[in-house]
Amino acid sequence: MMRKREVAKRIFAQELVRSTYQIEDQNQIKYVLTPTGERVNRIFSVAVLLDKDEIGADTNFWRLRLADPTGTFFATVGRFQPEALEVIGEINVPELVALVGKTRVFEGTSRKLLSIRPEVISPVDIAVRDYWVLETARRTIERIESMEKREGEDVELAWRIYNPDLDEYREMVRKAVATVKEDVEVMERFEEEEEEIDFTGFEFEEEEIDLTDLLEE
Amino acid sequence: MAADGALMSRAEILTDQILEKIRDENVKVKREDILKRMKLLVEEFKVPESEAVRTITSYLVREYGVSREELMERASPLVKISDISKPNQWVSLRAKVVQLWDSNSPNVSQVGLIGDETGIIKFVVWSKADMPEVEEGKSYLFQNVVTDSFQGRMQVNVNRTSRITEIEDDIQLPPREVDVVGAIISFQQNSGLIKRCDECGRVLVKGVCQAHGKVEGYDDLRVKAVLDDGESVYEIILNESNLSALTGIDLERALEIAKENLDRNAVLAELKNKLLGRYFRVKGLRGGRYLLVQEIDHHKPSAVEFEEILEALA
Repeated sequence: MMRKREVAKRIFAQELVRSTYQIEDQNQIKYVLTPTGERVNRIFSVAVLLDKDEIGADTNFWRLRLADPTGTFFATVGRFQPEALEVIGEINVPELVALVGKTRVFEGTSRKLLSIRPEVISPVDIAVRDYWVLETARRTIERIESMEKREGEDVELAWRIYNPDLDEYREMVRKAVATVKEDVEVMERFEEEEEEIDFTGFEFEEEEIDLTDLLEE
Repeated sequence: MAADGALMSRAEILTDQILEKIRDENVKVKREDILKRMKLLVEEFKVPESEAVRTITSYLVREYGVSREELMERASPLVKISDISKPNQWVSLRAKVVQLWDSNSPNVSQVGLIGDETGIIKFVVWSKADMPEVEEGKSYLFQNVVTDSFQGRMQVNVNRTSRITEIEDDIQLPPREVDVVGAIISFQQNSGLIKRCDECGRVLVKGVCQAHGKVEGYDDLRVKAVLDDGESVYEIILNESNLSALTGIDLERALEIAKENLDRNAVLAELKNKLLGRYFRVKGLRGGRYLLVQEIDHHKPSAVEFEEILEALA
């Protein structure tokens, strides 16, 4: 049987970083279990890349810090992720990116740490973030509902391992959606106005910028 | 000659079955000749009956020029795709070619999907079968094809004794419409600015068509991508007109980009920049491996959708 491609799950950062319980299935595929009972091998996220730090000089091994409206998470990129590495080399922070990657759990000194190994990193615009938040909110609500109904093995396991406060996750979703909703409304108003304004007849002058000060520094 | 069936030996019955098949052909074959061979194989050498029939069939083809198709044809019943459940059955199908894939084996001349009203199934035409090529969207009568199971799924194989004839009817496919919003999260190999074979349209690998060898080829633009909605993955193929509408890069522009950068891969990089990590709404038909794209467009949420979630949470 050909191995099926793992679906990229949508998980908010706040829930993602708490997902440190690992499961391995009969095909030796590794997953992390999230507090709302989702089994995750790959994620798709849209987040702001806040920092990129090269671990040691010229190692081409980068530690990334990313944030979505609910919290931050980490990712590491090295030579085994050539496509992502190429993008990271050129990118300026902060930048909004779409990220596809595999979940990894590291044993820290005091606790377990979840990190992402990116397969794809691509700068995107705000509309992509908006839809990602919407989609992730819907998926998270579905998972919260299955937790309430105690449907399935993974859900039972999540209760046992994490015993989550579901109201906390509901509040997380509510906040994320409310934040982004304002942006979307602003954009919709802006687009309506844009259609009304006639730009023909305007002439744009290119400003000359004096760069001598910068060069001397 | 024994007139009563009950008194006939198995060898005689099998002999008459073979003679029945070639009755219409203008061949002068003596019944005694076939019967003698059949008796030798079945009664003396105890060869299984099916092997004996096959051996004698080959003998007739070789010595008397009987057409192999004629002899095999009546052996395989006309079935519907949904009836196919066991491997190693000889069947005939009336089906439409839904999609052709790039074959990555020199032993395979064509591979793809065929469908009828009841379902869709993978088909493989072996290079050895030496068949005329079929085209996407056309309907054919596939005679004497063999069912097979590969990686847990049924398929049909077209071999040397099969026959493919184009038919007038337009075979209808089962509706398996998909309407999905997902993100493009990966590009598959052989995406971007590619070259296709002038003869058959296959994608060239390093200037080589696996059916026609080293050819000049012509340029084309296409992307094989993975669309993921968080629940399922869909493999989609975007052709030049899809790509032109979504990214503004048509074949002409792609060739310019390649020329400016002295690198055909620059086109792929540009397409990735514009497509990876973005959301699209895709309408199409799901058949086997690939989702056939009928419509694709960028997708944006509306404020109303956020409102609904907030209301549901309240």
